Amino acid sequence: MKQYDAVVIGAGNAGLTAATALQRGGSKTLLLERHNIPGGCATSFVRGEYEFEVALHQLSGLGTEDRPFIMRKIFANLGVMDKVEFVQEHQLYRIVVPGEIDTTLPASWSGLRRQLQSDFPSESENLARFMKLCETITLESFMMLPKARKANDEKMLKASCPNYIKYGMRSAKEVLDEHFDDENLKTILAAYWCYIGLPPSEIPFPDLAAMIYAYAAFKPWHIKGGSQAMSSALLESFMEAGGEVRFNCGAEKILTSGDKVRGVLTEDGEEIACAAVVSNASSIMTYNELLDHDHAPIAVREDFKSRRMGTSAFVIYMGLDCTPEELGVTSASNFICNTQDEEAVHAGMLTMNAPVSGMLTCYNFDDPSFAPEGKSIVSLVCLQYGDVWNDIPEEQYAQTKYEFSEKLIDVIAQTFPKIRDHIEEVEVATPLTMMRYLNTPDGAIYGFKQTPQDSELFRERIESISGLYMAGCWNNMGGFQPTYMAGESTARAVLKQLKSEKEELENA
Amino acid sequence: MPESKKNVLDVVIGYQEAVKVKEELAKTGSDFSDQKWATANTIAKLHPKRLTLEVSEVIDETESTKTFRLVSTGGPLPPFQAGQYINLFVEIDGVQTARPYAISSSPAQRDYYDLTVKRVQDGFVTHYLLDHVKQGQQFLSTSPMGTFYHNPIFHGQDLVFLAGGSGIAPAMSMLKNVFDNGLAHQFHFIYASSYIEDVIFIEELRELAQNHDNFKLTEVISRPPEGYQGITGRLNADLIKELVGEVHNKTFYVCGPTPFNENCQTQLDSLDVESRFVRIEANGPPKNPDQLNHWPDSASMEDEVTITITGKGSFKAKAGEPLLNSLERNGYSAENACRSGECSLCRVKLVSGNVFNPPEAHLRVSDKQFGWIHSCVAFPTEDIEILL
Repeated sequence: MKQYDAVVIGAGNAGLTAATALQRGGSKTLLLERHNIPGGCATSFVRGEYEFEVALHQLSGLGTEDRPFIMRKIFANLGVMDKVEFVQEHQLYRIVVPGEIDTTLPASWSGLRRQLQSDFPSESENLARFMKLCETITLESFMMLPKARKANDEKMLKASCPNYIKYGMRSAKEVLDEHFDDENLKTILAAYWCYIGLPPSEIPFPDLAAMIYAYAAFKPWHIKGGSQAMSSALLESFMEAGGEVRFNCGAEKILTSGDKVRGVLTEDGEEIACAAVVSNASSIMTYNELLDHDHAPIAVREDFKSRRMGTSAFVIYMGLDCTPEELGVTSASNFICNTQDEEAVHAGMLTMNAPVSGMLTCYNFDDPSFAPEGKSIVSLVCLQYGDVWNDIPEEQYAQTKYEFSEKLIDVIAQTFPKIRDHIEEVEVATPLTMMRYLNTPDGAIYGFKQTPQDSELFRERIESISGLYMAGCWNNMGGFQPTYMAGESTARAVLKQLKSEKEELENA
Repeated sequence: MPESKKNVLDVVIGYQEAVKVKEELAKTGSDFSDQKWATANTIAKLHPKRLTLEVSEVIDETESTKTFRLVSTGGPLPPFQAGQYINLFVEIDGVQTARPYAISSSPAQRDYYDLTVKRVQDGFVTHYLLDHVKQGQQFLSTSPMGTFYHNPIFHGQDLVFLAGGSGIAPAMSMLKNVFDNGLAHQFHFIYASSYIEDVIFIEELRELAQNHDNFKLTEVISRPPEGYQGITGRLNADLIKELVGEVHNKTFYVCGPTPFNENCQTQLDSLDVESRFVRIEANGPPKNPDQLNHWPDSASMEDEVTITITGKGSFKAKAGEPLLNSLERNGYSAENACRSGECSLCRVKLVSGNVFNPPEAHLRVSDKQFGWIHSCVAFPTEDIEILL
């Protein structure tokens, strides 16, 4: 029987960073991937002349070379900084509410303040106060809060996180309402809620604050060759360090002796022995289907009961035979909403009704090399919960997909009226497509619904099965930066376990 | 958090209330155990990884063409979009291989898929299918896939199909889709064949053309018998223009042998048909890769090279043969489907050496950087090592 220190199930973002960190950390690691390519949603596909980015819209956490932020360090530790090239976006986003709002925010912390203060002079002081709060609460929640929690020191928390104590558990909407009177300004500042999937009334304020601050101060980024380039670079680094990977080979079972991991049974029927398993599959699938127990451990079942299924997405990938300028694109990221009522947008996400809000990302706006010369690559996105697609009879699936596409294009065409005249390639991904390629329940793209209660502040690491670790968006935030980081931190925990087991053996 | 341990977060305003909300959620929530296998089952309804199909009927179409009617051995077959193909796995003389075939039957029914197969002169699999396959025989296949179909988002309703030889198969399915589902498409079908004896489905097509105002059939024969009264010659720009009239704002589908596809592309280009109105079906690896740009001067098709599979073994192969084919002949396998460079399922990693990647290999930018190739259209122009 083949033996490894660790087996990583799934080569999504967290699986790749976990596997790479494990192998580079000296543990013999096998990476299993059911698909034929690494990346999970961090991938691309080719149609005709176009290579479409599947999921990455704006990479956060990188910072500039002069002012680096955490992801630069993590990528360097994973050995991929010399394998990928980053492209900076110069705007945060353009947000359009037809007839009411059309504004573009710069990717600069001071520039953002200047522009908003000039656009909303009566809110000038409030903006200064709000932005200061976004900055300090982000630093508090990322730097000081973890330390105070680790020390379980109330005094330290009070001294180092005064803003977090006051605002940490409040919703983004409450804090926006407290600071501003102008509804347009609140809509403009809340636009990033789509990257979390819940309306501002349901997301913790620090999450929105961190996105506004981090994207503006540390810039939004694309990766040359798309997120697939990062996925392939991570795999390359993993393999260079001696890691072994199997594609087209999913895990069938996680094998245990009692409550301790002993190995993995692959889809091909091979048993592999290992001391630790890192699952990048959804926690639901990991515990209810992969684990060789009849029932998930009680702690897991209790944890699941306070979770709710998160959103999926409906995406149209388009290759256009016109330039971004000809299409009227002035910013890579665009939010277009027919209403300023985010609750109504979210209510619509639970239905098959025509979407009232959509997003357009143009990948070759900041770097023309992302598309063939004279052409454009865009993706149109609206978030949608996947369960509404489960009931559609399979023979009506294709038609339903096209009908829904037309409705999303209608939303986008209000701002980009020429879009329909230039389509050269189209591929549509529904929540069922997400389900097929990500293998997540209801095609969820960010894991569970990211309510305040979903946060790890309300959760403990579940250690019911010794040697089984979860890495991904199902017990952390969704999105690229959080999942890259989740894999890396999981690997650290695994390495610690492996090291202590080794020491025990040596001392025995 | 365990009750016994003091939680530092309790001093955060609203934390304790938020914990109560979590407790309320837990009272009404689920442990998702009722969803066991739901994801796999939903995916399997639309895109099962493999189908087991049984030949229920073999229909002689012409001297060189048969239609194999394949029925499900399980539940209903997955739906497909007219124009799509399945990849059929076969074992011939101990060699496991596969070929993609377009479905020629209507997507309006899911009892069977028809595969219409024409003999390829120097082929391997078509001879086996035409000469040896009998009713009752079973095959594994992929589920339907491919991007050659009518996409209502941008193809419009005015459609022209240029078919050459067995390229008729996806056209038949698309045509039946129009009639069976009552679509408002105008469908002009230009069917080019070398010899009148090779023309497939012609009676059925003529009858459909008579009975449907929105379907126009044009037959073109390049090597007509003496005294033939119909349209003859090769498809060229003038003929296309004459047959179709206004060429703009019509979507052209092209499916046939590679030279036919290339000729149609050239003719449509010369008519200034924009590429967004032209859909050409992929058609296997190039037969003469050495004629293409960037084929290395130092290499010839007949060069013998060594293929090493890391940790597994090695064998000799010809530079002019697609890597996937020589792998299969030597008992190795890679997942595959389109065998034309598009679907990306057969990607393997090149550890050392070089291969020739023709334009058909729709590689990603990062594939080129990190040495991933599509083995179905990769030609080993020197000794290589790959990872399977």
